[in-house]
Amino acid sequence: MASAGNAICYVLLLWTGITVVLGVYYVLSGQGTRIDFGWLIENVDPSMYASLGIASAIALSVVGAAWGILTTGCSILGAGVKAPRIQTKNLISIIFCEAVAIYGIIIAILINARLKKNLDLDDLSPQYRRGTQFAGFACFGAGLTSGFCNLFCGMAVGIVGSGAALADAQNAALFVKILVVEIFASAIGLFGVIVSILQVGVIAQVQIVVAQSISAPK
Amino acid sequence: MATPIVPINLNSTDTLTPDNAVYAGFFGVMGTTSAMVLTGLGAAYGTAKSGSGIAGMAVSKPELIMKSIIPIVMAGIIAIYGLVVAVIISQSVTSHFTPQIEVTKLSASGGYTNTFGFCHLGAGLSVGFCGLAAGYAIGVAGESGVRGTAMQPRLFVGMILVLIFAEVLGLYGLIIALILDTNVK
Repeated sequence: MASAGNAICYVLLLWTGITVVLGVYYVLSGQGTRIDFGWLIENVDPSMYASLGIASAIALSVVGAAWGILTTGCSILGAGVKAPRIQTKNLISIIFCEAVAIYGIIIAILINARLKKNLDLDDLSPQYRRGTQFAGFACFGAGLTSGFCNLFCGMAVGIVGSGAALADAQNAALFVKILVVEIFASAIGLFGVIVSILQVGVIAQVQIVVAQSISAPK
Repeated sequence: MATPIVPINLNSTDTLTPDNAVYAGFFGVMGTTSAMVLTGLGAAYGTAKSGSGIAGMAVSKPELIMKSIIPIVMAGIIAIYGLVVAVIISQSVTSHFTPQIEVTKLSASGGYTNTFGFCHLGAGLSVGFCGLAAGYAIGVAGESGVRGTAMQPRLFVGMILVLIFAEVLGLYGLIIALILDTNVK
């Protein structure tokens, strides 16, 4: 597929060239201050950040789970041709991958609850804006953390589960020992969930601080 | 230094200055995220690569499997480095997210300044990329190590030495992340 690779390279080069030319035009015509990433980060609606966080939490987790299931399932079904006894025991590997998707659902629902509770935009004064915008950032970060960690965890569990199935087909005593490696791999998704829950919990404390600053007399 | 923006709510003690912008919190959150995600990728790669090596050698030498779990454990430790830094940055963001106290002075004092946000981002990226590299190294070296140990048992000590040097790379990232976090006061 060298032609597809070449096409992608040309498209990337074209887009980079257009961006650079536009940037140079802006700078040379004295409008350089219009290229403002800080403005972009500040003015994207916090509900947008939170919704993107929720979407990435569930989407990336499910992609990781799917990748793991396809890798492991392929090996189980292939090795099962000569050793059909491995099917029921190796469903454990597939359940480990499914757990990754469940982590994604849990985090998405958690962030959604936070979105409903803390992201009201009735008061757009700078203080509320700081707290509410930070709530949007934190939801976005939490979603990305758990999404990507579950993606990598699912891929790793799939690869190790595939090896476990193939070893189990040769010698039935090996499955339990290689399961230990799978447990270490699934711990990575759990770490991502822990950090996501921490990030979502930060929002409540920050908003308390912001509310106190508003009510405090000058 | 630009003049502070007068808040709409006159009872408030918070102002927005260019040094104390709203987007500083974004970089703090991205520090936490990048710490966990990138070290998670390194740990996942290390676990998967060494795990498939173990599955390969397990058929011929089942008695050596438990000794060969060591690369997996070391890859897991990389994820723990990322978890530790993510928790530290998260707590640091919370404790420094106080609204600005001084309204009359033109210089910003208090509040989550841009510097804090960038320091947190730097801490997260440093442990993240170091953990990613260390996990990659542990994976590749661990796979060769476990396969070689199955064929030549005297290689076990050599494998441990190589893995320790790879692990220490992640530790360097953790050290720099903690040093960057002490810049935030």
